[in-house]
Amino acid sequence: MFNRSFNLFSKFFFKLLCLVFLGLVWEFICKTWQFSSLILPTPIEVFNFLLQALQSGMIHRHIAQTLFEVICGLCLGGGVGFCLGVILGEFPKLKFLIMPYVVASQVVPKLALTPLFILWFGFGTFPVVVMTALICFFPLLENTLTAMEHVDTLKLQLFRMLGASDYQTLIWLKIPHGAPLILAGVRVALVLSWVGAVVAEFMGSSVGLGALIVAGQGSMNTAMIFASLILITLMGWIMYAIVLGIERRALIHYPRRV
Amino acid sequence: MNHFTAPVEKMPRTLLSLNGVSFAYGEKFILEGLDWSLMQGDFECVIGRSGCGKSTLLQLLCGLVSPQKGDVVFRGNTLSNPVKEISYVFQKPNLLDWLNVIDNVLLPLKLRGELSTSERANAMQILDLLGISAHADKLTWQLSGGEQSRVAIARALVASPKVLLMDEPFASLDAITREELQVELRNLHDQLGLTTVFVTHDIQEAIYLGDRVRVVKDGHFVHTQDIDFPSLRLPSLKDESLFSNYSNSLRTSLGSPVYSSAACISAQGAMHV
Repeated sequence: MFNRSFNLFSKFFFKLLCLVFLGLVWEFICKTWQFSSLILPTPIEVFNFLLQALQSGMIHRHIAQTLFEVICGLCLGGGVGFCLGVILGEFPKLKFLIMPYVVASQVVPKLALTPLFILWFGFGTFPVVVMTALICFFPLLENTLTAMEHVDTLKLQLFRMLGASDYQTLIWLKIPHGAPLILAGVRVALVLSWVGAVVAEFMGSSVGLGALIVAGQGSMNTAMIFASLILITLMGWIMYAIVLGIERRALIHYPRRV
Repeated sequence: MNHFTAPVEKMPRTLLSLNGVSFAYGEKFILEGLDWSLMQGDFECVIGRSGCGKSTLLQLLCGLVSPQKGDVVFRGNTLSNPVKEISYVFQKPNLLDWLNVIDNVLLPLKLRGELSTSERANAMQILDLLGISAHADKLTWQLSGGEQSRVAIARALVASPKVLLMDEPFASLDAITREELQVELRNLHDQLGLTTVFVTHDIQEAIYLGDRVRVVKDGHFVHTQDIDFPSLRLPSLKDESLFSNYSNSLRTSLGSPVYSSAACISAQGAMHV
């Protein structure tokens, strides 16, 4: 028990040490080459800005807005991706009909779609959520479909032998069997959802961390841009860690091959 | 329902039969015109070389695949789909990793919506009989290969089947575990009054377990050997001369050379020269 706690502590300590080291390198570069704050603010300046913004409450609604969009987009896109993956896995003939359009929706640059979304859905939260959902539904769809298509043949035979219906085979075998792959898709979708939300905010939003970056660019406040980026990274890390924790808990009964 | 109440009466009644059954993968027939009647309480073993259609034969017997010609008849009705009374033990234990031992064993009942407290108690009784009741709450991947095979057998027995079909279930086990399981299987068969079909490519295993051994070759039963041993069998049976006679007879029908000690000694001598 002590060893485990010590290991966890030492891992955390080394991560923190690494972060401090990177901060020092950043500070050293700023001081040595005398960059203007407009080009590259020092970590201290960014930290001060962040602290002020948090204390004044100026940044709170931006954080809340982006977080809301990310969660809504992830749930919507992930849900649609999972359901479509299951449907295409259960009815393979539909796959050849639908997949070309799914791939087309992914290969088109999302930034190019944003003006269309603004035209169709106006400004505000909804187009950002739709854009986020569009980005993060694909990993879930692909992983779920792969999981559905790669169920052990012997296990499928076992379920046929036991007289299981298609629905029972799906619920009792296919989804639990593919759970590790499906949950890996959730992790990828989570990371991409931040990209989707922030990029969509660049184009058609006045609130949110993406909008704050654009505002920072307009007001030549580089510290604000860095502060927004740091917040996006931090929240992305935290959400990733939460999902990883949930995944580990959900897969506690599965053999781990590491 | 209790599995282990009264001793089971053996009645010479056809339970499962193949009537002129042929089966092909694509154009090629791998089983042709097979006739076979399984009586209640029979323990029949099927041997043959790899790819001769042994596993397909079992899949036909349980309704997993349908024959191109002929009928599979179970209790007077043509079998077109798997039925509850016929259980199948696969070559691999084929257990669900995410469920523990008892949930794996109860799976057939859960899928049929027949799970009750008494069935759970029966499942525990079966696990006890197979010597793995202590592992009931463990996850299956935490068990050894032999224990996993026992769980697979317990799962096949939990729905009180009349027929037990086994497709080389001990093929990947070490010799000692395999011998233990052979003894346990033969005892279970007698105790529960099952009708068992056991597919293997191991001649010794087939003779030790079966009351009759059938040899499959080129899509046909080329030889049927009745095994005249008592029901209660001990591993020492394998040392008897009758056992060797059966073994030689089956080897010959499989087209495999029969090695005698004299032939081996003369071959060794020739090599030294």
